[in-house]
Parts: sequence; structure tokens; C-alpha cells
Amino acid sequence: MNAKLLRHLALPLALLVVAAFFAVKEPAYLGPRNLTQLVVEFSIVGTLALGMFLILLAGQIDLSVGSGVGLIGGIAAVLVFQRGWPAPLAMGAAFVAALGLWTAMGALIVRQRIPSFIITLGGLLVFKGLFWLVIQNSTVPVARGDAENLISRLTTYYLPAGVGLALAIGVVLALALLAWRGRAARAAHGLGAQPWGRVVARWVSVATAVVGLVTVFNAFRGVPVSLLVLAATAGAVFFLTLHTPFGRYLYAIGGNEEAAALSGIAVERVVVGAYALMGVVVALTGFMSTAYSGASTTTVGDLMELDAIAACVIGGTALRGGRGTVGGVLLGALIMTALLNGMTLLAVAPEIKFIARGLVLTLAVWADVRLGRR
Amino acid sequence: MPAVLLEARSLTKRFPGVTALRDVSFDLRAGEIHALCGENGAGKSTLIKLLAGIHPHGSYEGELRLDGRAVGFHSVRDAEAAGLAVITQELALVDELSVAENIFLGRAPRRGLCVDWLAMHRRAAKLLAEFGLAISPEAPVRTLGIGQKQLIEIVRAMDKRSRILVLDEPTAALTAQEVAVLLDHLRRLRAQGTACIYISHKLDEVFALADRITVLRDGASIATLARAEVTVPLVIRHMVGREIAELFPRRILDGAAAPAPRSDQRGERAAAPVDPVLSVRGLTVAPAKNSPPFLREISFELRAGEILGIGGLMGAGRTELLMHLFGAWGRRLAGEVTLCGQTYPAPTPRESIARGLGLVTEDRKRFGLVLDHSVGLNLSLSNLGEFVRRPGRIDGSAEFRRNQALFDALRIKAPGQDARVGGLSGGNQQKVVLGKALMTEPRVMMLDEPTRGIDIGAKREVYELIRRLATDGRGVVLVSSELPELIGLSDRIIMLHEGRIGGEFAQGNFAQEKLLAAAMGHARAA
Repeated sequence: MNAKLLRHLALPLALLVVAAFFAVKEPAYLGPRNLTQLVVEFSIVGTLALGMFLILLAGQIDLSVGSGVGLIGGIAAVLVFQRGWPAPLAMGAAFVAALGLWTAMGALIVRQRIPSFIITLGGLLVFKGLFWLVIQNSTVPVARGDAENLISRLTTYYLPAGVGLALAIGVVLALALLAWRGRAARAAHGLGAQPWGRVVARWVSVATAVVGLVTVFNAFRGVPVSLLVLAATAGAVFFLTLHTPFGRYLYAIGGNEEAAALSGIAVERVVVGAYALMGVVVALTGFMSTAYSGASTTTVGDLMELDAIAACVIGGTALRGGRGTVGGVLLGALIMTALLNGMTLLAVAPEIKFIARGLVLTLAVWADVRLGRR
Repeated sequence: MPAVLLEARSLTKRFPGVTALRDVSFDLRAGEIHALCGENGAGKSTLIKLLAGIHPHGSYEGELRLDGRAVGFHSVRDAEAAGLAVITQELALVDELSVAENIFLGRAPRRGLCVDWLAMHRRAAKLLAEFGLAISPEAPVRTLGIGQKQLIEIVRAMDKRSRILVLDEPTAALTAQEVAVLLDHLRRLRAQGTACIYISHKLDEVFALADRITVLRDGASIATLARAEVTVPLVIRHMVGREIAELFPRRILDGAAAPAPRSDQRGERAAAPVDPVLSVRGLTVAPAKNSPPFLREISFELRAGEILGIGGLMGAGRTELLMHLFGAWGRRLAGEVTLCGQTYPAPTPRESIARGLGLVTEDRKRFGLVLDHSVGLNLSLSNLGEFVRRPGRIDGSAEFRRNQALFDALRIKAPGQDARVGGLSGGNQQKVVLGKALMTEPRVMMLDEPTRGIDIGAKREVYELIRRLATDGRGVVLVSSELPELIGLSDRIIMLHEGRIGGEFAQGNFAQEKLLAAAMGHARAA
């Protein structure tokens, strides 16, 4: 029981330790300005990690997403800035490109039976090259002059205080409804229902966090719109993984591919589907990431694939597939972002940041291997 | 009489829930070839693993004596050091290395820090010449046939000065010519004083080679016989035993011994013959493109409400036949399968399930279950489409109710549907696999070793389930290694022998001796 409790609390505790450490070193870390920035960064990493989650669930991997983020953002930026396309149209075109590329990679992996590690490693290099070709090794702003457009607003638009608060209250109420319905459903099926005390306590803590955060955001500029993109992605992935056959199949394929195939699951189709969804997520992340840097430059998306994988693994997603939760992935991404953001705030040298990132990734995978052996 | 080299005294080996060896004793003399015979599951493999140190000393009861002294092998290394070489069907050769490197694997001659390649090749060439093998020491092992590979292992064992050679089904994959070569070599080694334990299903080989034969049955040593004093039918009789094990449920046994309990239904069927739900004609299947066929000219018919038993020795092609019919194995070279009156090419398991075929696989942990997931998730895995409501959403309540109905009907013993399948006992895991296939409402249910590794109580329940499948009007194909199981449940039995039908038997004609003889390719001799 204690070990189980510890496992449940390990991630929140880790987050608390990271936050406390940076807050002591630099009180501005938890200030409204930095927290807002941290949440924008979290939205970017978290969204990508949610896509990676689908891939890892099926027992696959995708190393190409970092380059992909740069490439897709680059395509959109070039179309807007150099060709003068309206932002939504440029985003649509880049989106279609991402969907096509990732579907093709998925098809190569399942049809030609080439390990995903190799195909996506190739993708990493090819997409990086394409990316630099597209932007011609230069810096391409996402908007012309000082004008704002749909892309640039992804990381610069904030909800008005009232709207943010209303949204927060809506979310909190919806969570209450879900918790109540979930409990009722368990009880209706004669399953042990959780005690009301725990259900209420959980809801109160989540509600406090949500309303508190929105209050903090409002103290700066308001709720960043990128957080809504993340929330929508998380909601979609949550629904997909737990409430649709597609999601169940991902878990089953990752858990035991042979048994899944013999159970009549079209394994190939499902895996290609996961890659196609990864393409969608790469496009979303690409737009946000490029907007966050203000322009498409050669370094956009660098090493993001590793941050995404680290976030998933920290959050308890098994690298062998078949195990993991959306909540864990979000928490993992938050820990990753809290760390990176804190180091940037303390002006830690880039070389040290690389080392720290590497150590966190190694530590997370080590923990996965150790726990996976249970 | 030559001295006793190796002696096994009262060996007993228990696994959780099963006693694999019970009080087994036998001895091996210098310069003797001693054959071990027994049905699948008689305990031969366990005995060998114990001799080879794979089941280490201390994990079993009883005593092993070598040259009159008690010994205990803690590892394969220990056994090898004592002069015992075990050659199993999974050959311990590195395909990418040369013949010489394999012979001297781990003991390559050296000069200083370097491998002395010249010395190695010279010595290898000499050894190969002694065995009369025209193989280059520098040839990569992957270019050799299985028979040659086996001989390379024997050469290696001889070079390690092994005094005892243990061969587990060495001829399973060999051609007749290769078998003859192998047997010659073994006879020559015997003349030089090497002792050999020879395990084979092929009684003609055993009779051509062995000095003595020890028969194992249900984990016990039944008899040790001098070859000169016995005949093939006598050995077969020892292997099956005269009485069927009492473990088998009485009610079902009656069905085999006495006229069929469902004779009234039989009468109706005889009056108005039903079309077969599954009919297979001339099926010939190869494992892969460009390989020789493994299943040859298999034909049978299955009617609704009928249980067709399929028996055969290990490697006879039973599992492959089911997997092929289900669309999960092999390339069809010839033949036709008709399912419920329609030609069925069996492209994928998915298609098979949709067309009304169900398969319960042999290796439930590998092929049947997602062990890490819950009972519920596994039960409904093949059938999720049925619960999808509104755009793409699974109706959790409907799924839960359906799962619970099966969970209760199959009497799965688990804390609940959300229990992890990997934590259940073998019998309950098997029920989950069965439940998964049942939920798809198959017209034809194929069961591959449905009672392997489960305890007796659970076996009984599975037998009852199989019966119920047939009385519900499904066609049932039952593959089993246990003859009593086939006899007790089947309406008709087909014995496979090396990928062909070795004999077909109607109810009332189910003598164990006859069935086993057919499985061994002695259909006429018996």
C-alpha cells in the first residue's frame, strides 16, 4: 500500500521538488510572468508528447518529430512571409504535408517491416535537410511586419480575464460532473465505488489548482491560448485511448502484438493511424513552436523528440508499449518543462542544459526498465 | 556386462501444480545406446533438462550418480565438464560463424592474445575428416543443412571428450538419407565406447539403433526393455498404458467406451445429413514462399454439433493446420477450404473471425492474451466493434455487461473483470482466451491444446465447455496431445503424421494403441 501510494505521489513530489528548488534560487520563477511563459512552453512540449504517447503505446517510436516540428513550422512561415498566403491557408497546406509525411512513414514501417527506430531516424535527418532547404538557412518570421495572424497568435494571444475565469469554472464543473458520473457507473456495475471523501478531496484539489492558475495568469495577461490547444489535444487523446476501439487496439498491440493480430485486430492499419495522428500533432506543435520563437530558424524543434519521449517515460509510459496514461504524460511534460524553463531563467549555460536533459532522459528510462521488470 | 556410467535414482521433479517426473530410475552403461520413449508430456524433456543441468541440482528430488559417485549439476557447464553433452532440437550453433569457430566456440586455440586461426582450421579439418564429413572448416554454419549442423554439434561434443551424448529428437528435421548418416555415426561412436541417450518418436529408428529402451509415461519410468526382447506394438502399449488415467472425468469417458450418449441426435443427423460447416479438401501448405510443403493433402469435413479431434506427435502439423485455417500461418499451395458453404481463402485472422471462425491458441501467454491488461479488456478485444455507439465511442456499460455475463458463465475465478490477466492461474487464463473467442459467436471453434498446463478441476470445466459448444450446434475442432482427451470428447479423430493424415477413426474405434500407431506412421503395422 505504501509502495503503491509512493508510486502515485512520486511525480507530483518530483514536480514540487523541482519547483521549490528554482523558486528558492529565483523567486521570479513562480511569478505570473514566468509561470505564463512556462505554461506556453509546457503546451508545446506537452502537445508533442501526447502524440508520442500514441506511438509509444503501440510499441513504436518516432525520432523524427523534432525535425518535423521545424519543417512544418518552416513551411507555414515561408508560405505566409515569402508567398504572402493568408495564415489559415498556409497552416492548412503545412498540415496536409505533415499528415502525408507521417502516414507515409507509418506505411513504410508496417508494410516493409523496417523498424520504426530506423525509419524515423532517417526521417530525422531527411526532415532536417528539407527544413533547412525550405527556409534556406535563414530566419523567416511567421508574420509580415508587426501584423498578428493565426500562427503568431498561437503563443501571443491571451484570453481576457473574464473569459479565462468563466472557462476555468466551466472546466471545474465539468470535472465534478464526470467524477460523479464515473462513480455512479462503477456503483451501478457492482464495482467497489471510491469513498466520497476521496472523490471530493481530489476534485477540490484540482479545482483549486485550476482556478488558482487562472488567477495567476490573469495577474499577467490572461490564459495563454496555447494552453487551450494542449487541453483540446489532451482531451482528444484521452477520449481516443480510453473510449474508442482504436485506442484499445493501440494498448493491445503494444501489450502483445501477436495476440492482438490473432484477436482480429488490423495491426497495420492501427499503427499507420497512430503515425498519421502523430503527423497532426507535429503540425500543431510546429505552428506553436515556430510562433514561440517568432520566426522559423534552423534551431526550431531541435531535440524536441527527446523531450517528448522523456515526458512520456517520466509519466509512466512503457517504452515497450501497452502501458501509460494521458495524465502521466502531461505530468511528465510539466516536469520536463519546469526543469528546462528554470535553467533558462537561471541563465544556466547551454552545455550544462544539454547534460541535464540527457541525465533526466537516462534516469527516466532507467526507472522504466526497473519498474517494467516487476 | 559393461560398467554403469550414469545412474538416475528415484528422480522426482515438481513444477507448481504438476509433477513432471515421478520416481524415475534408469541407468546408462558405457558403449550403450539407450532410447527413451514416451508420448508428448511423458517427461522426457524434463528428464533431459535435469541431466543437462538446466534444472539445477537441488530443484529436484532423487540422485544422479556418475561412475558410481553422486553428482549434482548446477548448470549446463557443470554437466559438460563431467562429460555430458546434450544436443537438442534448438541447435546451439552460431549461424554466422564458420564451422571451425563453432567447433571451438569458447575454446579457440590461441597464440598469445590472438586466435591461432591456422591451428584451429587444421584441428577442425582433422576432426571433420575423422567423421568422414566433407565440409570445409571455413564454411559459415548458416550454409549447412540441419543434418550437417547436428553432426557439427556431435563433432564438438566429441572434441570436448564427452563420454555421454544425449540426443533429443535429433532426426525430427532430417531427410531419410541424413538420418542414415547420423545413425551410422552413432553406431561408430558406440563401438568406441561412447554412451548415448537417444530420444525419438520414431520407433523404427529406435529399433534400428538402441540396445535398451526405457518407456516413460505420465512422468514415471514404466519399463526398461532390451531391444532384442520387444516389438513395436509392445512398446506402444507400454507408452499408452492399458488403463486410461483416472484423472479423466467419468461422465465423458463413458461417451467413448459405451455407445454415444447423444445417439438420438445422431439418429436424426443420419436421417437428414447436414452440410458440413467446414470442409477441407487436398490442403497443401508451405511455411513460406519457396519452401517445401509442410502440410500435405489434408482433407476432412466437420458438421455442426460435431467435435473433430486432431491428434499427432509434436511437430506433426496440428497447430500449423489450425493457424493456417485461421489465416495466420503459411502459404497455401493447393487445396480448398469451404466455410459454411462458401469457399474461404483465409487471408487474415480478422477476416476469419468475421466469417465465423474462432481460434483458441496453444500458447496462451504468447498468442492469446495481453497479460498486462485486465480480464475485461482481454475478453472484449475481438469484439469491440459491437459496443461502438455514436461517433466511435465504446459503450462501457454494454461492454461491461457482456464481459460480466461471460465472466460468470465461464466461472472465471478472479477478483473481478479489472483483475490483471497475468496474475490468474493457468486454467482461468485459458477461460479468458476461450471467452474472447466465444464472444465473437463463431460457427466453428478451433481449440489448440485447450487444457495444457491447467489443473484437473479446471480441465473438467473446460471439457464441459467444449461439450456445450457442440451441443449448441457449433462445429468444434479439438487439437490435443492427450489421447484420453481426444477419445473422451471427440466424435471423430484424425491423427496427423508428418504433415499428412496418418489415419482417421470413427467413434467406437478409438483404441489408444491404434491412434498412437497412426500418429507414428505405423497405421498398418498396428
